[in-house]
Amino acid sequence: MRLEKCWFCSSTVYPGHGIQFVRNDAKVFRFCRSKCHKNFKMKRNPRKVKWTKAYRRLHGKDMTQDSTFEFERKRNRPERYDRNLAENTLKAIKKIDKIRVAREERHHKLRMKGKKSKEQREAAVELEQGIHMVKAPGVLAQDQSLTLPKIKVKVSQAQTDKNQPMEE
Amino acid sequence: MTCSNFLSQQQRTFIQMRTVLKVVDNSGAKKVMCIQALKGKKGARLGDTIVASVKEAMPNGKVKKGKVVYGVVVRAAMQRGRCDGSEVKFDDNAVVLVDKQGQPIGTRVFGPVPHELRKKKHVKILTLAEHIA
Repeated sequence: MRLEKCWFCSSTVYPGHGIQFVRNDAKVFRFCRSKCHKNFKMKRNPRKVKWTKAYRRLHGKDMTQDSTFEFERKRNRPERYDRNLAENTLKAIKKIDKIRVAREERHHKLRMKGKKSKEQREAAVELEQGIHMVKAPGVLAQDQSLTLPKIKVKVSQAQTDKNQPMEE
Repeated sequence: MTCSNFLSQQQRTFIQMRTVLKVVDNSGAKKVMCIQALKGKKGARLGDTIVASVKEAMPNGKVKKGKVVYGVVVRAAMQRGRCDGSEVKFDDNAVVLVDKQGQPIGTRVFGPVPHELRKKKHVKILTLAEHIA
């Protein structure tokens, strides 16, 4: 059993999923689902399609170089089964995943760092420019035509008494 | 998305009577037309044998035009399910000519072949192949 990578979106293809397309030059393309397969048939370049890992790596949205990626390299030589080795590998996979996720989080945070302050600065500039469009709350209270009238709705007590036996 | 993309996404089906297939060995034939798909009501798939008539052949080859031959489908555009649940499909429909016993007539096979042939006992074709998909 082997977990492959989808050619288009780079997600893992688990056994029992996806389609394998063999081209006449003997190059094998694996797809995780029909969405990727259809995009391939449309001859779209995954490096230009925004939701693929290829695009994200190329445009610096996701981590490219990391030592955790070294563990996932393709190995062609099968290992002799050893229970200890299998157990250790499973534990290691969990730990490496945790570390990788933590590093990706850090990368994302770093990428989004200046965003909040930038948004606030932009909002301040917009407020300064457009202040003439905003009416002061004092004026709204004086001029009745600008606000919607407040309507008071009476809720009868008899209705709530009727609902109580149904709730039980 | 242009109009042509919609047309290029065809639903590929079986290999049946009148299907023209490419010949990928050096037996002399270039194109054969399927006359009968042995085994299968709807048609032949990847790994099945067919009876075909040679439509186009090289001038000096082992088979001539108009001869009725048997063939093993080595590449089919229709996807075939594998035992692990995934599906494989190839780019075109291709056939390797065999004799009645199932031994290939030619001595070389071009292009990739699937390893479904091993189950169908066409081991000789697998050994001649340059790439097993």
